[in-house]
Amino acid sequence: MIKKEIEIVAYKCKKCGKLHYPFHDRCLNCRGREFDQIKPEGKAKLLTFTRIYNLPWGFNQRYLTIGIAQFENGVKAMGQIRADESYDLKLGMTLDPAWEPVRHQYGENVYGLAFYPIG
Amino acid sequence: MRDVAVIGVGMIQFGRRDEDSLMDMLAYASLHALDDAGLGDQSVDAIYVANMAAGMFQHQVSIASSLADRLSLLPAPADTIENGPASGGSAVKNGLLAVASGYYDTVLVVGGEKMREVTGWRATDVVATMTHPTTEYVYGVTLPGMAGMFTRLYMEKYGVTREMLVAVAIKNQGMGGLNPFAHVEMAITKEGIYEDHASIVNNPVVADPLHLYDACPVSDGAAALILCPLEMAKKFKQTPILIAGFGQATDTQTLQERDDPTDLKAVTIASHKALEMAKLKPSDIHVAELHDAFTILEIAESEHIGFFKKGEGGKAALAGKTRLGGQIPINLSGGLKARGHPVGATGVAQVVDIVHQLRHDLPKERQVKNAQTGLTVNFGGFGNNVLSFVLRRIEA
Repeated sequence: MIKKEIEIVAYKCKKCGKLHYPFHDRCLNCRGREFDQIKPEGKAKLLTFTRIYNLPWGFNQRYLTIGIAQFENGVKAMGQIRADESYDLKLGMTLDPAWEPVRHQYGENVYGLAFYPIG
Repeated sequence: MRDVAVIGVGMIQFGRRDEDSLMDMLAYASLHALDDAGLGDQSVDAIYVANMAAGMFQHQVSIASSLADRLSLLPAPADTIENGPASGGSAVKNGLLAVASGYYDTVLVVGGEKMREVTGWRATDVVATMTHPTTEYVYGVTLPGMAGMFTRLYMEKYGVTREMLVAVAIKNQGMGGLNPFAHVEMAITKEGIYEDHASIVNNPVVADPLHLYDACPVSDGAAALILCPLEMAKKFKQTPILIAGFGQATDTQTLQERDDPTDLKAVTIASHKALEMAKLKPSDIHVAELHDAFTILEIAESEHIGFFKKGEGGKAALAGKTRLGGQIPINLSGGLKARGHPVGATGVAQVVDIVHQLRHDLPKERQVKNAQTGLTVNFGGFGNNVLSFVLRRIEA
């Protein structure tokens, strides 16, 4: 299967270099208004995660694993982690990012970040 | 600016209130507060109504206007205040500033939410809409999920253990059992939720590492206050309780953008501003109502306020320092954990509970002896909008 390109964009302040994701109209550090757009690059490192068993409306499954990860170029983002209950996730482990359906809404797939643990 | 006092309080029991509409609950709590202040047949100068999501839960908006009409408070100006789970704190702040400025003399502040009208599935979704729509909500993250990720980091950094979280749950649920206004009245034991084999069934994981008894219930409820200038307070029948300080601060909407996601900066700033305005130190506070939507938050907030050093809050909870008679009694109402968390009501209910403590009108099993000062923390979003109040007893 051909992997889809990850469609998130982070924003690097042209004045101070601070990286933002999601978008802010002014830099959280220096209030600059000009940004370079940065695509996340490389693998990602797992910063924190949880496995949620009381899911919100719209999710018809027993649980959902969600985490925050940092890409090799510093971009940090939340995504779904593709690991079943028996998988021993650990902070700092390496994840392979993908752009996949993360929920189904109004008859359409909604795409987002998914992470596959690779050790 | 004028000093502002609480001269009336009212609350209804939190829980599942199928028989009452949101407007019923707001009206009952308001009438209790008006009666408590001795204003039973009079009006007020303004009304602030805290509510997070009646538009989604009840398909009803403009509730402040409806309440003014229902309570025959017309033509008093009325505003609905929405600030997520900190809506209650924001309404108290707006009432406080309105009276302090000299523009209004008597103000009704009431907060309420009716969350049990929808299924738990829907309620979880409604609450999750406070997360970032395209970088958090879309993935199915919930507030317990955010708290789970925070807890994992806090455990890793500060050595908080499940046993410490369990100590908070047992304390607060035990206090809830003594509070006639609490949603959860069932005491729990360490064996039942942690040690015993059956705890796997009794206390399942909801968002690991958090378990069922680490989380507050989904509740219906309402709470209300009457405020007036301190100089007028002696005309009313109750011991006036001064709002001696308040603080509010915001933080990034997403956890991932915080340099250190375990650092609840908005809690630190809000509580320290409130203490500074009241000219008090954390050690001067006799009783606190903290926003324990999850047990970890009581521990983390107790450290960020300065009751304990970072990494000591969990140990303090385990050692009983936050119980009645301890160094700083926290959540003697049962907290959100047991009193319940009708989101729009919580920030107001916390002030109501501190007012009772400072009036010395609680039964001895919940009353801090001779309490003179109290502090609240009302935590919005996942710490991205926090309010804190310091209250002080004024002797007649």
